[in-house]
Amino acid sequence: MRLLVLRYFKLWGAFFRNSLTREMEFKANFIAHIMVDLIYYSSLYLFYYVIFQFTDTIGSFTKETVIIFMIVTYMIDAVYEFFFSGNIYSFNQMIVKGNLDFILTKPINSQFLLSLRYIGFNGIISFSLLLTLLFFLTTNYPHHNIPSFNYVLFFISFIMGNIIWYSIDFIIHCLSFWFKNFSVAGWLGSNIKQFAMRPDTIYGGVLRKMLFSFFPMAMIASVPVRFLIYGFNGYLLLNQVVVCILFFSFARYVWISSLSKYESASS
Amino acid sequence: MIDWVKKYYSVLKMSWIQTLEYRANAVVGAFAILSGLLIEYLLLSEVFADEISSNSAIKSFASFNHLIIYIMLCMMVGQLKSSWHNSMMMIDEIRSGELNRYLIKPISYFSYNFMNFIGHNSLFYIVYFIMMSLVPVILGPGYAFNGIFQIIGFIMTLFISVFLSYATYFCMICFGFWFGEVRALIISYNVFNIFLSGQLIPISLFPDGLRQVVMNSPFRYMIDFPVSIATSSNFNIQYFLEGVLMQILWCIIMYLIGRIIYSFGIQQYEAFGA
Repeated sequence: MRLLVLRYFKLWGAFFRNSLTREMEFKANFIAHIMVDLIYYSSLYLFYYVIFQFTDTIGSFTKETVIIFMIVTYMIDAVYEFFFSGNIYSFNQMIVKGNLDFILTKPINSQFLLSLRYIGFNGIISFSLLLTLLFFLTTNYPHHNIPSFNYVLFFISFIMGNIIWYSIDFIIHCLSFWFKNFSVAGWLGSNIKQFAMRPDTIYGGVLRKMLFSFFPMAMIASVPVRFLIYGFNGYLLLNQVVVCILFFSFARYVWISSLSKYESASS
Repeated sequence: MIDWVKKYYSVLKMSWIQTLEYRANAVVGAFAILSGLLIEYLLLSEVFADEISSNSAIKSFASFNHLIIYIMLCMMVGQLKSSWHNSMMMIDEIRSGELNRYLIKPISYFSYNFMNFIGHNSLFYIVYFIMMSLVPVILGPGYAFNGIFQIIGFIMTLFISVFLSYATYFCMICFGFWFGEVRALIISYNVFNIFLSGQLIPISLFPDGLRQVVMNSPFRYMIDFPVSIATSSNFNIQYFLEGVLMQILWCIIMYLIGRIIYSFGIQQYEAFGA
């Protein structure tokens, strides 16, 4: 088992080196992607800037907490871009054109190869900048001191948030097997993600329960922020662990059952 | 003239038939509007809780419901004028040399893709027009489409804004002749456009400085202007005519800029990959 894990880490290292070489061939594209990230961040910042002209809090989240929440949503986005987005967004085309054959015939786990083959390096640049900004904002948090233990909790919860979002987006893209050409998978995913891009304090009633359970969008960014700002909450942690395991297992199940639908279109 | 209409009508018909193959787009489009609206409703109802409880006006909006209807219509118009799919296709054609197919035919690349763009969005027109027509039925009169002039005015300004939006996209796409890959430019434009055109927060709620900039830019005439006609309680003919004139002026400016960039770009074009 240890050897197998080591092998997959080595493989990812090879993907990393190969992607870096490719990226350096298209330097302008790399810079353009960083520019897109900055524009995206500034438009969302402007959105909350306008919102906070009319109020001081959104539910129990103060202005400072919302800014930290916003940074965390960007970080989730940057991590996703680094590891997965370049791979998952080309998923539908692979099925339509039959190029998935090249993935399935390799002697490694097909989901691993499909999800992690190409790396988006602009994500790591954005992530580093955002992490620095987050550290600055949390060390200067005006309402109370944030203990070091909260950072540990945040780190664990942040990783689980990423796994949950990966699982959801992966499941959405697997719909391509059923619809034959589901080119709107990326669009559907980004619409669903909007639920995670707003603080959980705006949701109430049944929707709130859904967002913390079988439609766990609040688990992606809001829960890590809660751990970072408010500290340990056993119920939330257990909930996130269970949801993370369930959704990752479900994504795995969907992938295996989807493969039985694959007809190797144009190959 | 008849031949010209026939030619481009057949392009429109062809892309309409292709679009019918991808009906999932319309379902996802409807979901995008409804989920987006739900999120904005929940967020803004937290922000304007006091105004909702006292049923008071929010800046230029008579009530919170008026504000939400405005945002809903902005989202729909924003989707109808979005040329995402077509833009990506055109960028690919320039980059891969497939543009050659159009250069040797008696067809305008601008007009051909404009028809494609309308045809591709045709399913959204049907779905969103049904959703729009349900507004007065569900919420009652007073929120949107309060008279025949508002309906006609909205449809007119919507079509001009679709052309303006397409002409703006075309200008950016033409930079592909020099840079090859201009997707990032289109994505950046889309991201900023969603915010600046009032799809998340109405322009009238922007801070003064930013509002002034947006009101004097073409962004205002793409979404805010058609929606303000649709939601107006009294049809102001002077406001309408002034706005339409400005829309047409921006259309001419963007069209001419596009033509100039295209004519310089086509000289640079080397038909790579063809």
